[in-house]
Amino acid sequence: MFRPIASIAATTVGEAIRRKVLLIILLIGVLFLVVAPGLGMLSARSETTVLRGMMLGIIQLTSAVIAIVLTVYMIPNEIERRTIYTILSKPVQRWQFLVGKYFGAVSALLMMMTLMTSVLVFTFWLQQRDASAIPDLIKAPVMYFVQMSLLAAVAIFFSTFVSPLVNFFLSGGLYLLGSLFAPFFQTLQESQGTPPAAKVFAQLINTILPNFANYNIQNPIINPGQQIQNEGSYYLQVTVYGVLYIAGLLVAGTIVFDRREV
Amino acid sequence: MSMTSGINRTPLIGAIVGCALGIFVLQNGIGNQPTGKQYESISETLKNGNTRTVKKLKAGVASPAFQGISSSWQRDFNQGTVETQGLSPDQLLFALAGFREMIAGILWVRADSFFDSGNYDAILPIIRLVTVLDPKQIDVYATGMWHIGYNFTDEEQRSDRRYIPSALALGKEGARNNSLTYEMFFETGWMWYHKIDDDYSNAVKWFELAQERPDMIPARRNLITNAYERDGKVDKSLDTLFKLYQTAGKKAKEDAAFGNKQNRDTLENKLDTTLVRMVQRGWFAGKDGRPLTGYDVNPPFDTGFSAKVTVTEARVLRFEGTWNVLPVGTRIRAVLRDADFPNAKPAGMEWDFSNDVNLDPPRDKTFMQEQLFVRNQRFNKKVDMSKDPTMYPFTSKDYVIEFYYNPRSAPPHIQDKFSWNGEGFTDKNFLNTQVREGQRVMYTSVKISKDQLLRRGDWREKVPVIKTGNYLDKDGKAYNQADQVTIDLPSLRAN
Repeated sequence: MFRPIASIAATTVGEAIRRKVLLIILLIGVLFLVVAPGLGMLSARSETTVLRGMMLGIIQLTSAVIAIVLTVYMIPNEIERRTIYTILSKPVQRWQFLVGKYFGAVSALLMMMTLMTSVLVFTFWLQQRDASAIPDLIKAPVMYFVQMSLLAAVAIFFSTFVSPLVNFFLSGGLYLLGSLFAPFFQTLQESQGTPPAAKVFAQLINTILPNFANYNIQNPIINPGQQIQNEGSYYLQVTVYGVLYIAGLLVAGTIVFDRREV
Repeated sequence: MSMTSGINRTPLIGAIVGCALGIFVLQNGIGNQPTGKQYESISETLKNGNTRTVKKLKAGVASPAFQGISSSWQRDFNQGTVETQGLSPDQLLFALAGFREMIAGILWVRADSFFDSGNYDAILPIIRLVTVLDPKQIDVYATGMWHIGYNFTDEEQRSDRRYIPSALALGKEGARNNSLTYEMFFETGWMWYHKIDDDYSNAVKWFELAQERPDMIPARRNLITNAYERDGKVDKSLDTLFKLYQTAGKKAKEDAAFGNKQNRDTLENKLDTTLVRMVQRGWFAGKDGRPLTGYDVNPPFDTGFSAKVTVTEARVLRFEGTWNVLPVGTRIRAVLRDADFPNAKPAGMEWDFSNDVNLDPPRDKTFMQEQLFVRNQRFNKKVDMSKDPTMYPFTSKDYVIEFYYNPRSAPPHIQDKFSWNGEGFTDKNFLNTQVREGQRVMYTSVKISKDQLLRRGDWREKVPVIKTGNYLDKDGKAYNQADQVTIDLPSLRAN
């Protein structure tokens, strides 16, 4: 059952690392990471704060673009090039194809994010000569990886029934909304002027939307001095949340893809 | 060719429902979830001397059975409440989206280039945006506050004081958003102590709040004793000095690092000096009700203030006058403001009137403040307000010129004669005990019209001169020139 998934995933990774557009995005991200210390040095007083904020932001932004670009074309390309017929004519289930594609995308993402994180660590160490801060710094890219895996799942779900261009904006918009809604939700909940019905509606939206903000854990890393309660437990919870959401999206994608005539 | 596959959907839908349930519980938790306001920040000092701050539920707030991700994120990772005032919709979108810290960093680097090129006006909106994007960046608050408070009001270049309330409001907002650390409380206190240089009770209030934070560095803790002195609370200053000295002594014994020993020695020196000053200035004698005969502050010294202000050209004033104190170090405050300037008070304003950071001060109002430096018992300063009409718009009809001297702001060698509350200070004509409660200060004011300041209308050919009745020219002659119109500054006694 898992061999076809592994084969499809391995092929997908191979395709991903050969795609020039992804490599260019990755290269731009790495270049920004390398020059980021220069920008930090330009800043008065808060050099380290600016450096951390800039580097983590670059990794997050680059990874988000890679995750979307990587996944929006996956299924439509296979259909357009008719390679899907060759695959599905073999003893491969559609769900195995979808899951294999997803794992391939996530593996490629993992490789690219690992490269960027290595550059981040090396550049930070070169600039700050402070190895003690590195373990804290790495927490953010790890959480970003879960965030991007969720984003990839969203994009692959949409790719089963919409065109790549529409998917690009749909997934990107959902990412923005999912990052944006958490602080907005808090403001709504704590505002005394918000009607109870609006609060319930906001709660509903906050539950349905993939909450990408959960993985934005960079603030205490950028501005240290705060003690986070049950840090390990929080990271575990958000990872389980991500895994459940991804599973739900892949199952839903399978149902949609299964009904689709190709 | 078309292909479809038929799979049993029922278990798949069951799996989706199961995932949705799990997501709901993880996201929202079980039981009543506390809001951000139901947490308080607790500072703890660790065994290694470092401090950490933790947000804990306030007393009386029930702990939820299982706290969801949403609540935990709001408590520990959210950048803070977004202050939306003054933000355009696109800025608000950025503020709420996920890249707040990165954008804040980029903007801050941009602001730095404006600092270097001296383009101060361009920095203000960037500072505001950075603090909105990442309200945890204390350095931006501190630098922004200094920039607004000092660079826009530097006596050498600009004397406009309309931005001070904005600087204070930024400090207050920074303290609210970073209540875990002493820094913004200290910075706000410093603004009161050093820049406003008046109303020292506010400096004391903010320094006390800073002292409550365990991460405050020892050398900065000592400053509160000076603020107590300037606030007239000399006994409290002495008590605090003694406590700080004891703590510093203990710390120096535990860890003989140079910094610890130096701090202890500094405090010891300051303690000695304060005790000597309290004796010499008759502080203890005064408290015991003994006569002050023989003490430095007795008899009170008459400063003999006199002044002449000439409107030499439109928007250009020359301040001249006398002050009988020979040692250098006296600065007399001169204020020129709209007669109806909002929140104005004698020789100042209610600086703390707003909690909102408004980087656009009243454009149609003027508040110029200068320090007149006394040398050889005279002062003489030209104030040119013609170069920047945005700072000194002069749109009102009536203005007020004020002169003010507060012994509390005087340097120690002058306070040795005047004492902390002006006990050894007097002025035959302009001593005032009303404008600052419990203090003896020099104060006088006079009205001047827009036409006089702009040298127009009836004043196009005449030179307006404002002077005190006791003003004497450098050669000792009473001031009298036929071509100039003299307006007398009011005094308590006949001139």
